[in-house]
Amino acid sequence: MNVSLKRIQAIFIKDYKEFSRNYAVSIMILFPIAFALLYRSEAGDQAAIYAFIMNFSLAMLTSFVQACLIAEEKERNTLRSLMMTPASMLDVLIGKSALVFLISAAVLAFSTYLFGYETSNVMLLTAALGISILLYTAIGTICGLYSKTLLEASLSVFPVLIIFTAGPFALVFEEQYPFLEVLRYLPSSQLSELLVAMEIGAAAGELATPLIIITVWAVVLTVISFILYKKRLMDQ
Amino acid sequence: MNIREMSVNGQRIIPPLELSMEKGNILGIQTNVQRKKILLAQFAERRDIYLSFAEQGEYTRLTVEELLRFMKSLSDHNQPVHSMLQLFQLGEYRKVKIADLPASKKIYLSLLRIYYAQQPIIVLEEPYFQLEEPDQLAFARLLEELSEEKQILILTANLEDALISCDTVYRLDEAGLHLLDITDADDEMETRDEPGEAEFKIHKIPTKKNDKTILFNPPEIDYIESINSSAMVHVAGETYACALTLAELEERLQHYGFFRCHRSYIVNLQKVRELITWTKNSYSLRLTTGKDSVVPLSRTKLAELKELLNI
Repeated sequence: MNVSLKRIQAIFIKDYKEFSRNYAVSIMILFPIAFALLYRSEAGDQAAIYAFIMNFSLAMLTSFVQACLIAEEKERNTLRSLMMTPASMLDVLIGKSALVFLISAAVLAFSTYLFGYETSNVMLLTAALGISILLYTAIGTICGLYSKTLLEASLSVFPVLIIFTAGPFALVFEEQYPFLEVLRYLPSSQLSELLVAMEIGAAAGELATPLIIITVWAVVLTVISFILYKKRLMDQ
Repeated sequence: MNIREMSVNGQRIIPPLELSMEKGNILGIQTNVQRKKILLAQFAERRDIYLSFAEQGEYTRLTVEELLRFMKSLSDHNQPVHSMLQLFQLGEYRKVKIADLPASKKIYLSLLRIYYAQQPIIVLEEPYFQLEEPDQLAFARLLEELSEEKQILILTANLEDALISCDTVYRLDEAGLHLLDITDADDEMETRDEPGEAEFKIHKIPTKKNDKTILFNPPEIDYIESINSSAMVHVAGETYACALTLAELEERLQHYGFFRCHRSYIVNLQKVRELITWTKNSYSLRLTTGKDSVVPLSRTKLAELKELLNI
């Protein structure tokens, strides 16, 4: 499969125009910003609240937009004719993912600024969020592949939203229900742990573990989304 | 181009076929929806064919110009967008979003994707079905131009659509491809004026559809029906008007195994499958062509028919 920068760029621009004119989808960029403004004045547990906003935004923005971009293409039968142009399946996926990555990165950076979150280690925070965006893009791709229409895609993101965003909160009940321990290994819980650990100034070794777990999630889900993407499109 | 044999439930739908395609000659195949889908599925497996589907969607939030620019950069097309707009006669819609285009223009625009195809063969499914007449003409003109470089095949269930731009039209049924003998109305006039030997016998049945004269071989015809005193020739589910009267047709066709089974029907006896008796005095003939092809048989003709068939 050959990849061409020119074609990826063409798909990127096309999807950007479609995204910016589809208000039902592009309104999602307002959620992270609204949440950041809403919680900024809250005193106390800054890192945990910030982690919640980030987790929520990643599911609501990154996964949602990616799923919608793919599902809409399927809904209108345009993917089929796209496959008959020289553009490869990888061109299409990379073009879309690149757009979603950039939008998410910009919005997350802006809401971090609005929230007024300050960290001692900007590099580490950027790396953790960057990997998380990749991870949630892959989830969005999988959701998009399993839905035939835009409506289905927007609904399919809700389980992701509930499991990944609410996961860290369910840890409160861990003492009552020991099996909830698994939720600790969700990427969202790990992101939350990482941010808290950074705030109290933990050692480098302690910081590395959550980052590695998030990276493993990202790699595994990206590989799964690629395989599914190839398989599901062949079936059409 | 070869097409594989295809059977559904043990019944052969399409025999193995060989299609010869060439540039500058737009090919049309008229067949039913089921066969059309089978052909499209077979074509989809090939990498050298660009398929234009009837239910092709569009990026409705882009403007016409943006879509053409997108197609251009996707397929490394070398013509600038503004000259393509001019060629497609879409200059006035340049800045209009595709969602806001008139329905016919939207489909016209989708069809134009074939201009960016890199494959040597282009197959179109029902291109004219939903187009308004000016767009049909514009597209037919573009298609003719494009056929200089590409081999073009049109699949349609409707013969009228195939006649708009095809140079050669085939009808496809379970037996295979049948070339339709088509001449333009003007050509035919010239041949009529020629003072030839009056003795020369014409064996074909001339019919009309959309100003075109189509000549059928008698064995192709299923049955002929008289509606408001004009003869309608039924061939594989399609009807064609014929200028001859039923009496004239009967005379011409009796040597081909046709039979006047009713005051307003002539049936091809080769295609009769079943004699249905409704009541003691009411009969029908069921044909092999399909479930709903039933021709009435009058009581007076029954004896004659039985004699003909030795039953």
